[in-house]
Amino acid sequence: MIKNPINKIINLGPLILLYYLSISEIDSHFENYFEILSFNIQLIIIYFWMLKRPELLGSGHIFFSGLINDVVMGFPLGLSSLSYLVISLVATYVKNMTVNTRITTDWFTFFIAIFFSNLIFYILVSNFSELTVSITEISYNTFFTLIFFPFFWFLFNFYNSMITSGKNA
Amino acid sequence: MSSSRDDFGIAFRSALLQRGAAQKFSLISLIFVASILFFLDVFGFGFMKPVRSIINDGVYRVSLVASSPSRFLPDLTEGIKGFLAIKSENERLKKEIEIFKQKELNVEYLLNQNKNLKKILDSEDTYLKKENILLSKVLIDKSSPYLKSIIINKGTSSGILKGMAVLDKEYLIGRVVETNYLSSRVLLLNDLNSRIPVTFGEDGIQAILKGTSGTKPVLEYLPEDYEIEEGIDVFTSGKDNIFLPGSPIGTTTLDGKVKLFSEPSQLSFVKIDISQELGKEF
Repeated sequence: MIKNPINKIINLGPLILLYYLSISEIDSHFENYFEILSFNIQLIIIYFWMLKRPELLGSGHIFFSGLINDVVMGFPLGLSSLSYLVISLVATYVKNMTVNTRITTDWFTFFIAIFFSNLIFYILVSNFSELTVSITEISYNTFFTLIFFPFFWFLFNFYNSMITSGKNA
Repeated sequence: MSSSRDDFGIAFRSALLQRGAAQKFSLISLIFVASILFFLDVFGFGFMKPVRSIINDGVYRVSLVASSPSRFLPDLTEGIKGFLAIKSENERLKKEIEIFKQKELNVEYLLNQNKNLKKILDSEDTYLKKENILLSKVLIDKSSPYLKSIIINKGTSSGILKGMAVLDKEYLIGRVVETNYLSSRVLLLNDLNSRIPVTFGEDGIQAILKGTSGTKPVLEYLPEDYEIEEGIDVFTSGKDNIFLPGSPIGTTTLDGKVKLFSEPSQLSFVKIDISQELGKEF
């Protein structure tokens, strides 16, 4: 009786983290230490969990967290949602096409996912909104997000194995 | 070849349309909804403005609460660090006192320079009156790699208008670009979208201060063959009739950039110059 709600909360971990990162002031832009260092943890969370355990996130929550991120960041509504949903789309496609993946294949497919996601982000911002974003900044962000992916892959994989083993027990 | 293309088509359609056990919406429907929302917001349909304003006010408040732990932890760490580093702090302060003593010697020179600058800027308008200043708390200063902005806890209900100048102490830090009923967004000077007319030096050189997304904005449209010297104070020129002339911004660096007097990532309270006419659109 007690174990069930705890398991439920543990399973909600990735979703809570996604919402928290979208709504809180916590950011992954370290301009005070290294001006070009910034990465997008939300994209990593969405890609990893949509690939491994899509039932833990849910497309509706991804869409909604994108809307929150847009409000906090000052982007037009729907922009981050679109970006996140493109990541989900690639992850779901890869999940449908593959049986068992390793970190190298996940890393490579993640590159394709963030490339399309950030490309759509840039095209929409530069062509339809009054905002100006630097393609160099987006490239740096894409590069560092890709670089940090393996670290989060191991971290999330460990978390996944923990909640999966709990489930089996 | 054709079978691999079929596989791609099937997997792609499946990815777009399928709904898992816990999924209430298909990806394609959400992508469609997100696209509609985006275009409604971008093309500024009348009903979107109040909707966005209400959503903004709500989300900013929730964001403030959600960010409380992240504000508390750095404070705690800083407290411990400060406690452990009293000796080095003391030495640093001694050095600073020495520097201030040296600076005192330059006071006369600075006073003269200030007088000259006031003359250049027609200084009757340069000083902000207390009744024209509104103090506001910074609600959110989430640093984005793309946009440099902060959210403040005053909105149209307090008389804030788009375009109003925002200051930290007496230093200009940006301008209001979005107003809601209870909150506003301030575009900082280092944002890529920021352009401010400025003046500096004894000759009153005119230039445009453009944000670079980095920490230091850059001076543009300088006179031909003009070589920038280091350490010259930069002020608003007021040529745009938005900012009052004479608000200090920062000092020049050799590479044509401006080191801001106010650190954009360290803002807690800001002042808004509300002296502009109500109802004026910028």
